[in-house]
Amino acid sequence: MHVLTTPPFAGTDRGQQLFQAHYGGVWRAFTLVFALAFTLGCGATPPAYFRLNMVEATKQHLTTQQEEQVSTVLLAMFGTPDEPATLPEMGLDAAKLKLAAGPVRSDIVGRKNGLYREHCAHCHGITGDGLGPTSAFLNPYPRDYRPGVFKFKSTERADKPTHADLLRILHNGIAGTSMPSFALLSAAKIDALAEYVKYLSMRGETELSLMRAFFELDDDAAGKLPQTREFLVTETLAVAAAKWQGASAAQIAVPPMPADIELVDSIAKGRALFYGEKANCVKCHGVTGLGDGQANDYDDWNKAIVEADKEVAGGERRAQEAQTSGMSPDELKEHREQIAWLEKFTRVLDGDALKPRTIPPRNLRQGVYRGGRRPLDLYYRIHAGINGAPMPAGKGTIPPEDIWHIVNYIRSLPYEFDGELGADRPLVARDRF
Amino acid sequence: MTASTVRFSKGLCVPMLWVPMLVAAVLMMAGASAAAFADEWGTIKGTFVFGGDAPLAVELKADKDIEVCGKHKLQNEELVVGADKGVANVVVFVRDKGIKVHPDLAASAKSEKVVLNNAGCRFEPHVAFVQVGQQLIIKNSDAIGHNSNVATIKNPPSNNLIPSGGESALTFASEEAIPAQVTCNIHPWMKSWLLVRPNPYGAVSKADGTFEIKSVPAGEIELQFWHEKAGYIGEVTVGGKAEKIAKGRKKVKVAGGDNDLGEMVLDANLFKK
Repeated sequence: MHVLTTPPFAGTDRGQQLFQAHYGGVWRAFTLVFALAFTLGCGATPPAYFRLNMVEATKQHLTTQQEEQVSTVLLAMFGTPDEPATLPEMGLDAAKLKLAAGPVRSDIVGRKNGLYREHCAHCHGITGDGLGPTSAFLNPYPRDYRPGVFKFKSTERADKPTHADLLRILHNGIAGTSMPSFALLSAAKIDALAEYVKYLSMRGETELSLMRAFFELDDDAAGKLPQTREFLVTETLAVAAAKWQGASAAQIAVPPMPADIELVDSIAKGRALFYGEKANCVKCHGVTGLGDGQANDYDDWNKAIVEADKEVAGGERRAQEAQTSGMSPDELKEHREQIAWLEKFTRVLDGDALKPRTIPPRNLRQGVYRGGRRPLDLYYRIHAGINGAPMPAGKGTIPPEDIWHIVNYIRSLPYEFDGELGADRPLVARDRF
Repeated sequence: MTASTVRFSKGLCVPMLWVPMLVAAVLMMAGASAAAFADEWGTIKGTFVFGGDAPLAVELKADKDIEVCGKHKLQNEELVVGADKGVANVVVFVRDKGIKVHPDLAASAKSEKVVLNNAGCRFEPHVAFVQVGQQLIIKNSDAIGHNSNVATIKNPPSNNLIPSGGESALTFASEEAIPAQVTCNIHPWMKSWLLVRPNPYGAVSKADGTFEIKSVPAGEIELQFWHEKAGYIGEVTVGGKAEKIAKGRKKVKVAGGDNDLGEMVLDANLFKK
């Protein structure tokens, strides 16, 4: 059971996070080597474990016992990466999960199992926390599934992607990022992986709700979550699961592109909207459309780390300024607890979080669209905004036909020429110096 | 109720008949206490005072839409201390679940709307209080476009474009344990907070540090104090006596009429971040 709780992280530098993220510190590596030494030659793989969301656990000031409570509940509900468990409330297909979970292996009829670890885990991590061993090398970082937030989908901003949305991303990959296309895999395999992503996401969301629930406990609960089905399943797991099940009903209804207007006129209208005060695209995507209008914003995943970093820095400054000489025993105890917490948070952020990066608005002159290049995909982005990112929803403000005009303008942007010959030519390295 | 569960969890032998009797007794007691205060409603009042030298207002510089936002005197509103050292924007709400709501206030969530306005390149008010099911209207009375990124945790978050003169209506199906941040991605200095509670028993301290929660049922209730910079306020000093309040929760006995909590001094150290 010890592996379910935090291993003592050895590193303190973000430069080591790559190693940390995969092996969870010297402790985990040691266990791994030990386990390997015992099992090599028998053809078995050491068991894999889900990592606890230590950033959230520390942010919520959870005690070790409370972290264990969360681990135990999650283990009972979701099992392990080798043996995933399901409850009927999840609405997940256990057979598909089985195909995706576990170590890479072939079953008795020669069918490949362990698809997630074969194709996904090196970036997205065994836990789906986006902290696989390659994650630190990638820009953008691989998605952390645990908050259950997905960007590129056909549903309203806060809603989950549909199963078909996940299949499309797996099939096409994400242009402009490190996410490749898995079109060479069979439809059944892609289907199993999409199901497993939902499983990891539901698990991560349940973990977050459990961790956040401690604060709301009344004092007489003595820091223990209610061990009732009502709380654990009905109020926690089922709430996360219902959002996934309701996704297909939340699909955006898209009216057809206006047919009674010439493309050139539609583009002109879209251009006016792009620069206009209503749609206001220009504010972030820039007057040039190069995505240089707003350079210092973060997406939700990175913002959480930026804020945690700030909290730690502020706490350290206050701890240093504090005058311990005048403190009562109680105050001194509190002061020491605070310092221990700050040290823990620093360790956790070093080992379990990647260095925050800003999110640039898309450069619309390149013709590379992460969520897909179909006009329909661009319509979804403008209508619903991008969940987790600063991009707001135009829905309710921009009428559907105007959204289509903007789509047409955006699609024309990579080819729009308005200026001196050569001025729009991309800079090659030797021209910069 | 607690008594019966404790007995069970310790595995003590409880004769079968006891259980329904115990539950019945507890229910009767609960009924009796509710009846005793049935017609009494009290108002909770208080003032938050800054303990220390009032911090100087920090001016913010608009780096977007300068022709409009540059005209307004923008200030960092994370900690606003008035002339009499009153601390503004302290959130106070009643924690008790399922608390009885005064009949006059029962319809307030349906009949009244809460407005959060993008005005002068800031949010007005800085902290808004909305009830579950109540309409929140996000408006924009500026000459420029805004967006309002509502980062709720239990409710679906939203981020709608709010063009000049436009508005967007939101309702929330569940309460939030802590106020949710509302920001504008176009103008990064714009920040505000949204308190979502299941009943009308919440308040935000005004510029002079005072707050008032009306028509609270008499009896013991638990108040929660929160401030964006201090987080859950862990200590208040009343009449020179410092009182630690774990997680910012303070039990208060409400009687009919006014219940004045007096001047609550919040030490300057609470706001250091």
